[in-house]
Amino acid sequence: MPSAESEPPKKQEESTWVQIGRFTQLAFVLPAGTVAGWLLGTALDHWLHQRWLSTVGLILGTVAGFVELIRTVLAHTSD
Amino acid sequence: MPEQLWFTHILNQMFAGPVTGALRALHIEPTYPQAPINNAVAMELVVFLFIIAFFLVVRSRLSVENPGGVQHVMELVHGFVSGQAREIIGHHSENYVPYLTALSIFILVCNLIGLIPGFESPTGVTATVPLGCALVSFAYYNWQGLKHHGAWGYFKHFMGPMPAMAVLMLPIEIVSHLARLLSLTVRLWANIFAGDLITLVFFSMIPIGVPIIFNGLHIVVAFLQAYVFMLLTAIYVAGAVAEEH
Repeated sequence: MPSAESEPPKKQEESTWVQIGRFTQLAFVLPAGTVAGWLLGTALDHWLHQRWLSTVGLILGTVAGFVELIRTVLAHTSD
Repeated sequence: MPEQLWFTHILNQMFAGPVTGALRALHIEPTYPQAPINNAVAMELVVFLFIIAFFLVVRSRLSVENPGGVQHVMELVHGFVSGQAREIIGHHSENYVPYLTALSIFILVCNLIGLIPGFESPTGVTATVPLGCALVSFAYYNWQGLKHHGAWGYFKHFMGPMPAMAVLMLPIEIVSHLARLLSLTVRLWANIFAGDLITLVFFSMIPIGVPIIFNGLHIVVAFLQAYVFMLLTAIYVAGAVAEEH
């Protein structure tokens, strides 16, 4: 049985207020990522005179939103 | 001419000429050259002047032996922000407390000023004021990350833990950081705008009693949104200065 000294230090518990703030953010992560990606792609389309970058930006933004969402949830559900 | 609050009207009467001249020097043509200062800018100026005057008064009355009520309140605010920053950022969080405190007080006063008749919440009038706050926070946490890790060290944060995935992770991380800018802006603006609108709608329907309930709700939302904005900025600073990714 491992001694208490050899156990890895537990992550400090966050207060309820910090958790509320952190999780209210989640509702905005996916739409904000999608819109930000689309806006960036559209700006690049105008700048580089292309037509496909807005679609790529839209997809990347959605992926970025999901990555951020999963990252936040995993960070607070894993021990 | 746009609809102007009394303070905006005074500012435009006094400074319309120099402001329009300065904008034209920057190759910006104002929509209304006779009134280039809008309500949001005027209300921001009111908030700025109020905060400066308030802290000058607080500073002049600081006392270790006999602290007054206002000093107690400000010590409480500072202690609360320090505690939150320590919990989120960890060691050396005290370096970031001045910015976080200033940001939360500015946003809180901006949110609350709309409750006074004759004034408007600059954070609820247009999205430009929340966008300004979000841009400053965005620049701040990236600058702190650059200062802490150096240019290459901070850039590596954007490439993820696996070098093979760096090509994919870099654009995803860039979009993810830009999304923070958007979500900070939209959350603050939409909440305060909705609070103002609901109060106005109910005031027009039932002008006695009921608006008090919605004003109370607006105060809660004002505190909550100022807190959430400060908290998320602290979370972004913590992410930028963190040693591991």
